[in-house]
Amino acid sequence: MTDGASTPGWLLAGAEDAPPLLCSGKRRRGGAIEKTVGGLARLIREALVSEEIAARRGLLQRLDARVKLIGMLGLLIATGLVRHIPVLLGLYALTLVLAAASRIGLGWFAKRVWFFIPLFSGVIVAPAMFSFITPGEVVLPLGHWFGHEVGLTRQGLTSAALIVCRVASSISLVLLLTLTTSWSRLLASLRTLFVPRLLVLVLGMAYRYLFVLLDSVTEMVTARRARTVAAKRSRRGERAIASFSGGALFGKAHALSEEVHQAMLARGFSGELRMSEWPRIRAIDVISVLTCLALAILVVGGDRALGL
Amino acid sequence: MRSGSESLLIGEGLSYAYLERFPALEKVSLEVSRGERLALLGANGCGKSTLLKILAGLIFPDHGSYRAFGEEVSAERLEDEQFSAAFRTRVGFVFQNTDAQVFSPTVREEIAFGPLQLGLAPAEIEGRVAEVTQMLEIGDLIERAPYQLSAGQKKRVAIASVLVMSPELLLFDEPTAGLDPRSRGWLLELIDELGRAGKTIVFATHELAELEWIADRCLVLSEDHRPLAEGAPAELLADRELLLRANLIHEHAHRHGAVLHSHPHERGHHGRAG
Ligand SMILES: Nc1ncnc2c1ncn2[C@@H]1O[C@H](COP(=O)(O)OP(=O)(O)OP(=O)(O)O)[C@@H](O)[C@H]1O
Ligand SMILES: [Mg+2]
Repeated sequence: MTDGASTPGWLLAGAEDAPPLLCSGKRRRGGAIEKTVGGLARLIREALVSEEIAARRGLLQRLDARVKLIGMLGLLIATGLVRHIPVLLGLYALTLVLAAASRIGLGWFAKRVWFFIPLFSGVIVAPAMFSFITPGEVVLPLGHWFGHEVGLTRQGLTSAALIVCRVASSISLVLLLTLTTSWSRLLASLRTLFVPRLLVLVLGMAYRYLFVLLDSVTEMVTARRARTVAAKRSRRGERAIASFSGGALFGKAHALSEEVHQAMLARGFSGELRMSEWPRIRAIDVISVLTCLALAILVVGGDRALGL
Repeated sequence: MRSGSESLLIGEGLSYAYLERFPALEKVSLEVSRGERLALLGANGCGKSTLLKILAGLIFPDHGSYRAFGEEVSAERLEDEQFSAAFRTRVGFVFQNTDAQVFSPTVREEIAFGPLQLGLAPAEIEGRVAEVTQMLEIGDLIERAPYQLSAGQKKRVAIASVLVMSPELLLFDEPTAGLDPRSRGWLLELIDELGRAGKTIVFATHELAELEWIADRCLVLSEDHRPLAEGAPAELLADRELLLRANLIHEHAHRHGAVLHSHPHERGHHGRAG
């Protein structure tokens, strides 16, 4: 490597050819992908987990992780069964009250929830509003197509609103659980609820790589920015870079997952994750879980009583 | 497991290829006695990390045999619960890639991970965690998440998480890479101290300057993944031709010796040569 190979001349040449180090007044267009990727990484990290919030002294933080998991599951199932928008709004309001009682800033919390909604429901909701998917009374006509009136229908809008409300309540419930529980406790409680060991392991790994991967994404974006010279970039080039980075990231994820697993093995991990001991279930835990389940039944029952 | 045998580790004719395609180790043999400090030297990609992983029982050689603590180490034997717990307690491994090693949500959980897996009592674990964090001066980081730490701090956490299990054999993969001079000095002193406390230490390094301080013996690997030389640090460092062949120093090192390697030993060697 050192013998024979000589440093190429261009590398040793001075910087005479480089453009002058001056401001031209023209702004560089920030690459859309660059911004989205960086922002997304930050948001996901902030939104999903916060050991800091989990350590605050609030209502949900005080409850046992297993209890929270069961209670949230009950409410989640109820949310899935409800068919009236007001009931769903009521459930959503409940999650806000719980968030406030758990010392989570409401604005911060709502922003996280509404950020995820398009991700989960945009694909279904957007087309459902139109008359050719959900036929019915057109409330917002958009024109004619093959002799039919095309537009947003009342039925379409209602079902879209229903989906959005349902997704908002569900995401809020899940976030309440993940934000107020330390991740290792959460995984361990999944195990106590007879979720297969393999699945829990995979979840645990996924969580760990997420952070390292998010770091990698941010680093790759930064590294690319450091090497970007041209002021204008083609969409195509940008897309090529995005898919290339995606590939590199996948390779990285794989190599890393192997090493993380080895690091766990090296410290005595033998397939079953051992946790420090569970605290005892207290009266307040029992009361909370019963309240949640009763509430879930009440909500579904009330919803049915309102008719279809 | 038997103890008291002269050689703690015996590897014979170890070969390994990743995905059966990329050779990483070719017929390497080594013997490490109890309490010895062995340095693995070689250019990037020569197979140091691979060899350490074999010694840690994380990957298994395609050819050759490996015995540790007087017992054969194989994938099959490590499937055995008792054997694997006993082996993992005795062997600690500090990875080259700290990110791979530091995976728990908080520093405290990270350090407690190993002892928990080995089933130590909670009170015992708590005491050990407190002591080891104090020793490594990371007491005030204990509630933080690993991704909120600097590279050097993460390294300390990684080392703490291994030392807390008090292994007999310590494997370090490029321990001082990426550390500032003060942390580097601190870590070398720590390794030296562990060695004097009777721990057996095998470490990979590129830092020739550190060798004489913390190694009793060196094993040099060539770029085609074979053993190139073996001997005391002073001997090897004096063999300029060998160091060049192993790509451990640059051809022009003698001209800029003081700049490239500013440690006393090489300068001494340079003085003799010139
Ligand atoms: N996961 C992998 N897949 C394929 N090949 C690999 C993998 N890991 C290492 N190798 C190859 O195996 C060889 C030895 O790698 P190893 O990591 O042991 O080198 P090293 O001596 O530790 O190098 P460095 O000083 O850069 O850390 C290299 O040629 C490398 O390309
Ligand atoms: Mg290496």
